[in-house]
Amino acid sequence: MNIVVCVKLTPDPSDIEVKSDGSISLERAEWSIGNFDLQAVEAAVRLAEAAAAAGEESKVIALSAGPEAIDQSKLKKDLLSRGPDELVMVVDDALRGADTAATAAVLAQAVRKLGPVDLVLCGEGSADLYFQQVGLQLGERLCLPTLNAISKIERDGEVLVVERDLEDEVEVLEVPLPAVLSVTTGINPPRLPTMKEILKAGKKPVRRLSLAELELSGEIAPQVQVISTRAPEQRDRKQIMLSGSPEEAAQKLVEQLSREGII
Amino acid sequence: MAGIEQVWVFSEKPALLAELAAGAHGLGEAVEVTALVAGPRGEAEAAARNAERVIWLGELPQGRMVEDYVPTLAKLVETPPQGALPPDLLVNGATRRGRAVAGRLAARLGLNVLTDVLAFASNGELQIRHMIFGGGAVRVEKPLKTPVLATVGPGVLEAPPELTARGGEIVEAPFVEPEWRVTLRERKPRKAAAVNLAAARKVVCLGRGVAKKEDLAMIEELAKLLGAEVACTRPLAEGLDWMPRERYIGISGAAVKGDLYLGIGVSGQVQHVIGMNGSRVVAAINKDEHAPIFQIADYGIAGDLYAVVPALIQALKNRG
Repeated sequence: MNIVVCVKLTPDPSDIEVKSDGSISLERAEWSIGNFDLQAVEAAVRLAEAAAAAGEESKVIALSAGPEAIDQSKLKKDLLSRGPDELVMVVDDALRGADTAATAAVLAQAVRKLGPVDLVLCGEGSADLYFQQVGLQLGERLCLPTLNAISKIERDGEVLVVERDLEDEVEVLEVPLPAVLSVTTGINPPRLPTMKEILKAGKKPVRRLSLAELELSGEIAPQVQVISTRAPEQRDRKQIMLSGSPEEAAQKLVEQLSREGII
Repeated sequence: MAGIEQVWVFSEKPALLAELAAGAHGLGEAVEVTALVAGPRGEAEAAARNAERVIWLGELPQGRMVEDYVPTLAKLVETPPQGALPPDLLVNGATRRGRAVAGRLAARLGLNVLTDVLAFASNGELQIRHMIFGGGAVRVEKPLKTPVLATVGPGVLEAPPELTARGGEIVEAPFVEPEWRVTLRERKPRKAAAVNLAAARKVVCLGRGVAKKEDLAMIEELAKLLGAEVACTRPLAEGLDWMPRERYIGISGAAVKGDLYLGIGVSGQVQHVIGMNGSRVVAAINKDEHAPIFQIADYGIAGDLYAVVPALIQALKNRG
């Protein structure tokens, strides 16, 4: 079973700096694997492990697209230490801030280049933008069965039986392969890489493709212009630290809550 | 891009569809709304009250799902039925199905999707506002290509107060067979959520600072004394599985906006903060005095929660 898992490598949004004028900077943010994508990697590796245990040849290819900044050896090793057998990266600074349509177009063409693939997995949404679109658009561009909100995947012969976690119901669906699925954050907890996997990661193959090498047929011109990115209006908070022993601090909090009319 | 005139709206949820159809009239004086309805004829008739026109997609055959209408919708956008004009803006309800429909439709049409739009401004040109960076930033964007596809949740679009019943005509559209289909084996109702955090007046929220599941009992006692619901951060609901999913607060979880948010062992990551910073009073207990939660709290206690929470329980009991 050949599985491709798509991963977005992004500046960590928890490292956001808000400047005094309300503008936002991620310049000093550390880049990391999207925290919603780790579950997709885990799901891919588990399916491949199950297939291998049943005597089937199987492989997990991690696929990522983005600007030069994603090509860091630390990121690549981190990703590969979580179980994928190889990594394919489409690296081009033209992909900085790419919209969902452009990202899906690039990933779709990369998947086509990879040869026969049985399953493509994506996370629920990216860690930075969380638009929850790329997996859906990617699947449709590949003309394959495409579903989001997948919270469970089991192999049943030639098909997958999946659970789809919607707001008011859970659908149990039989999905023919190949297919493109976006998984929920609850599907499985991602594993922590073992020392052995970390050491192995440095030796796994990494392929770097340029946009030109992809030979995209359509254009990926931006469809949105960003006008501004600013910190949301914050309420003014009192920021009063209540000091003293636990008993004294607790007593002060009770008094404040009482003064606020809460208790 | 010129102003918005033709707005198409689609949602599998009749209440959200009605809200989007009525609310879309607030996007501009020249706006005409076309509601796309998949379901019984009665739903098309109901939608016509809020729309100049209804395109009725018919009733979904047994075992099919709403997403099977994607090829039909794509065809309608490209060649609108007699009497309808193509959309400048197509709004999908921001449910999980709505996201799937919007994304697949966009890919078929070579378009992008503006997701979870919080506000539209259309003075001459359309601009939208939505959250990024896990709620850490608000981004304003201008779409450069038409039609514009967007997903919009409840409570965003507001109908103009003078809006009267529209009574739009209903046109039927033939079903376009999808290229692939999945087989529906079973539908399981989700267990009714035991809690609606969005409606809670007070919330006690646990974070990673809580060491083990058994400690929940202590937190529950505190919550009971405060008359508060118990909530948690994402890792406790997903990963540790200490609490059900509907109890977690954050960008992909619930948003609380009651009188009190009390964070216990919560560090205050942006993805969590977006779900709680609408609360009137924020209090926090964390052993790390530099935890970001204290920056956005009214009252903070830097201390060991295992000492402070029992003391707080005692102080509340002493009050009687």
